[in-house]
Amino acid sequence: MSRRSLDRKFDRILELEEAQKLSPSRRNRALAKLLNNRLAVLGIILFSIILFSAIFAPLLTDANPLKIDLRNASKAPSAEHWFGTDKTGRDVFARVLYGGRVSILVGLGSGLISAVIGIIIGAYTGFKGGWIDVLALRVSELFMSFPQIILVLLLVSIIGQSLLNLMIIFILTGWGGMYRMARAQMLSLREEEYVQALQSFGLSTASICYKHILPNALGPVMVNITLSTAAFILAEAGLSYLGLGVPLNIPTWGNILNTAQDLRVLQNYWWMWLPVGTVISVFVLSVNFIGDGLRDATDPSQQG
Amino acid sequence: MLVYVIRRIFVLIPMLVVISFLVYLGLELTPGDAVSSLINPEVASRITPEQLQALRESYGLNDPFLVRYVIWLGNIFQGNFGHSLAGGVPIATIFLDRLPATLELSFVALLFSTIIGCILGTISALRRGSPTDNFLTVFGMLGVSVPEFLFGLSVMLIFALNLGWLPAGGRLMPGYETIWDRAPHIVLPAMVLSLMMTAGVMRYSRSSMLDALTRDFIITARSKGLPEWRINLLHGFRVALTPVVVLIGFRLPLLIGGSVIIEQVFQWPGIGNEFITAVRGSDYPLVMMIALFSVFAVLMASLIIDVLTALIDPRVRLN
Repeated sequence: MSRRSLDRKFDRILELEEAQKLSPSRRNRALAKLLNNRLAVLGIILFSIILFSAIFAPLLTDANPLKIDLRNASKAPSAEHWFGTDKTGRDVFARVLYGGRVSILVGLGSGLISAVIGIIIGAYTGFKGGWIDVLALRVSELFMSFPQIILVLLLVSIIGQSLLNLMIIFILTGWGGMYRMARAQMLSLREEEYVQALQSFGLSTASICYKHILPNALGPVMVNITLSTAAFILAEAGLSYLGLGVPLNIPTWGNILNTAQDLRVLQNYWWMWLPVGTVISVFVLSVNFIGDGLRDATDPSQQG
Repeated sequence: MLVYVIRRIFVLIPMLVVISFLVYLGLELTPGDAVSSLINPEVASRITPEQLQALRESYGLNDPFLVRYVIWLGNIFQGNFGHSLAGGVPIATIFLDRLPATLELSFVALLFSTIIGCILGTISALRRGSPTDNFLTVFGMLGVSVPEFLFGLSVMLIFALNLGWLPAGGRLMPGYETIWDRAPHIVLPAMVLSLMMTAGVMRYSRSSMLDALTRDFIITARSKGLPEWRINLLHGFRVALTPVVVLIGFRLPLLIGGSVIIEQVFQWPGIGNEFITAVRGSDYPLVMMIALFSVFAVLMASLIIDVLTALIDPRVRLN
């Protein structure tokens, strides 16, 4: 670029500035970066579509997801039943929508709660150090020395199957990852000068941890939440497919897929498992896209 | 080095003791208490309460809790894992029966997924930003987003039920013993498991390769005029390998835990399949022992991996 064209460019910017058209961008830089990532935007769109159609399920379908209608059992998709009906004549489209409510609640709910617990413990013990830190670390190691699925199934067999129990199990097995991350962040951030300044002002440990340090670790935290949400939704689907997740009378994505255990259903009634399988995959994919976008947008060391 | 290994082992022992204690506690609290499962239920149903009492006494089952725990632990070390509630089969027999199938399947999957994942990840990193890279990235995302049982079912539907090329499940037909009778059974489950596992390795090796390629020694190598492939393979890949070895270590537990659901889908007679049957039937002794065994496997794997990383990267040993 020649000197003159550069000058002209600066002149133009100056003009804009003087005309006050170039007010300093209010938008968060990370958010702008996220919205520049095409896959992340696609993820956000798909995520919203599925989330809102699950929330507003009654507006989208009149069918009752629990109503058994044996005369209309195993019907192929039609104008009346968009995704057909299952072996007991329940409308599969309605079941996918209403099932989404439970599946997303389990995934997102356990993801958020386990993140909050992990952060509270990790940030505090990481900052404090000493015996409480060692204790928390050992407990988390205890949980992490089980292969995830074995621990989940073990807990299912001990405390039994219910929606609440499943969430408790996911939280128990899921807090460790976030705990470790929060602790690692604390260990590196607590040596920063601003933290020492706050300490010298006599602020309480909790206030320094949660109010002043934590916001600096928000990026990795959000990435971690998306990862665990995706994992929990997949885990719910897997467990319910096996008949060991949410009790079968509650429609969830996994429970709808439970019928696919029957090879005849798999071969002859594709509408009973393919649409819901696609919805799960697309939803988890969208969560992963968002997570990846967040990682790129918030973590400068992961550009690429 | 030896000191390092010994130190690592000493860290593991308290962990194993605590977890075995928790497992024992679980056995005590669940119905069909742990130590009475040491007696074959077939026998137990035929004897009188007095005989049972005498038997319990002779086994030391009326001793205090901690003493019973130590006896139980001693039994485990002698290979007596107790009996399954279903049919009274010794758990050790079940392990011997089922473990080879699981290891066979997981080992094949782990091997293929590691090799393919490393190669694809490296290609992806070297061609960063190209269509190949983008395609592989999305492929990797798909691999971690599709439920594995769904992928397994789809593959089974296409290749086994519709095309009929390969058997839909099982491991061995009775009476068939040669490798050519066995091989077709493992193809589908191993393929599904490998593809699911490849995604993770690929993403990981891509980012560690990218990281290695930005280091100073790569610039040095390039300024020496070395051919590009030498730089990438001999200099970049070698350094990128350390985190990948760590990743393989993290994945060794998958040898036991990773195939649970796929085994169920393809009716593969492995330990994961057995585990699910046990959970369904509330067969607590078996559930607990498989869980304990898997923890043991995970801890051993982590030990091996620590030693391996220390061998590759001397800096680890010194810390």
